[in-house]
Amino acid sequence: MAMTQEPLPAGVSAQGGPGPYGRLAVDRGLSQALLTSANAGRSVFLQVTGEPGGVVHLVDGGVVAIETPGAPDAETVLLRSGLIPEPGWDAAFTAAAASGRLAAEIVQQGLIGAARLEAVLRIVLADAMFVLAVGRVEECHVVDAAAPSLLALEPGAEPRRLLDETSRRLQVLAAMGSQITHDRDRVTAGAWQVTSRLPLSDSQRDILALANGRRTARDMAFALGRGVFALTLEFSRLHELGLLVVGSRRGGTPAGQADRAGSPAGPNPHQAADPAAGPGKDPVSPLPRRRAPSQPGETSPARAPQAPPALLRILRRGPSGPQVPADPEEPGRTAGQDAP
Amino acid sequence: MAKDRLLTEMRALRDRVVGVTDSVLASRDGLIIAADTATIDPDNLAALGAAMIGLAQRMAAEAGQGSLRDSVTRNSGGYVATYAVGGEALLVVLGDTGLNWALLYRESRSTVDNLGNLLAQASPRADGTAAAAS
Repeated sequence: MAMTQEPLPAGVSAQGGPGPYGRLAVDRGLSQALLTSANAGRSVFLQVTGEPGGVVHLVDGGVVAIETPGAPDAETVLLRSGLIPEPGWDAAFTAAAASGRLAAEIVQQGLIGAARLEAVLRIVLADAMFVLAVGRVEECHVVDAAAPSLLALEPGAEPRRLLDETSRRLQVLAAMGSQITHDRDRVTAGAWQVTSRLPLSDSQRDILALANGRRTARDMAFALGRGVFALTLEFSRLHELGLLVVGSRRGGTPAGQADRAGSPAGPNPHQAADPAAGPGKDPVSPLPRRRAPSQPGETSPARAPQAPPALLRILRRGPSGPQVPADPEEPGRTAGQDAP
Repeated sequence: MAKDRLLTEMRALRDRVVGVTDSVLASRDGLIIAADTATIDPDNLAALGAAMIGLAQRMAAEAGQGSLRDSVTRNSGGYVATYAVGGEALLVVLGDTGLNWALLYRESRSTVDNLGNLLAQASPRADGTAAAAS
């Protein structure tokens, strides 16, 4: 597949070097299994073992649903984002439980428009394919049966388009030099006490409010009902500004040098650094102190940490300056927009 | 320190199983032993977990279905799984909607076993002396 240079999303700058996403690619075994099923027009469940792994449901060669612990499903997105109120969902579920046609029922009950629901389902599918295809894939095999998803995209999305979209997303993240991986890096809000002065979007403030050192982009996607890829983009932007830092990594690897861009010196005031501060609070090691330049022979006095240049530019523009751009690839913004 | 080792086990479970968000280790009378939580109130979870494990064990017996394995509450916003830890403690594990609770049961076996051993080591012996720290 020819790799053309994808333009970066608006407001995103390359951070130098491809980062971890420059080393990732769509799993070939998964790609082959999907395209084989698509070409044959099969209706099957494809079990993908690995991490995050999952189950891909194909009908007549099109992907109608993907279940994976790596990305929120449509129900989680619709409810957690507030697109559909929970009482309405429960009523629609009860009505559709026998027929299994939940999508038609929630549209019929006026809970969401048909076009918007389709856009959400497509975004959720693309997100699930992204985490599945760039994750660790051990095996792909057809299973006889699996519980069909209640919210299926009809007709299904072409596997080729989903895989192409995954490749595009990898290119975007690599071009950004994103240093934050969506499934490993747990983020903490940075130490800069200036967020009230910044033209941040509500969604970015939501991210900073939930960045408690325990959540990866995947975890926050489930908490907010948003897409993993969209949040990974947001994390990268906020990381570049020094507003998000990597506190720890899943798999037991200390953050250590994982945070390379814009780390404020000193401990994070939003986190208890002392394990004795309270039961169960994740201790966060103080970030390495950055030494201020000094004359030879002088002992450097303690100085306030320098904000990253990108953050300083925004602060100088003031609150009336352009907003730090949010990502358009969110379920709440998908009405009428292009989606696989 | 024994509590650090308990927390290490609980954090390792959260590290190992995608979707686990919090966990609380409590005594059967609902008191906190250790908590790996963020915004959730661990005291309330400990008390409710103790009540839940007792009811669940009683339910399993009443239903004639053998011994309790786990008690899982499935909610619109995620899962709460409660496991007995030996005869004197319990573990409450919270997860988001992406949690595979069947996988969690398998992955939590070593955690429950290790927590039980750590608690047994820290408990006073019948002769009143403390068990030797290992």
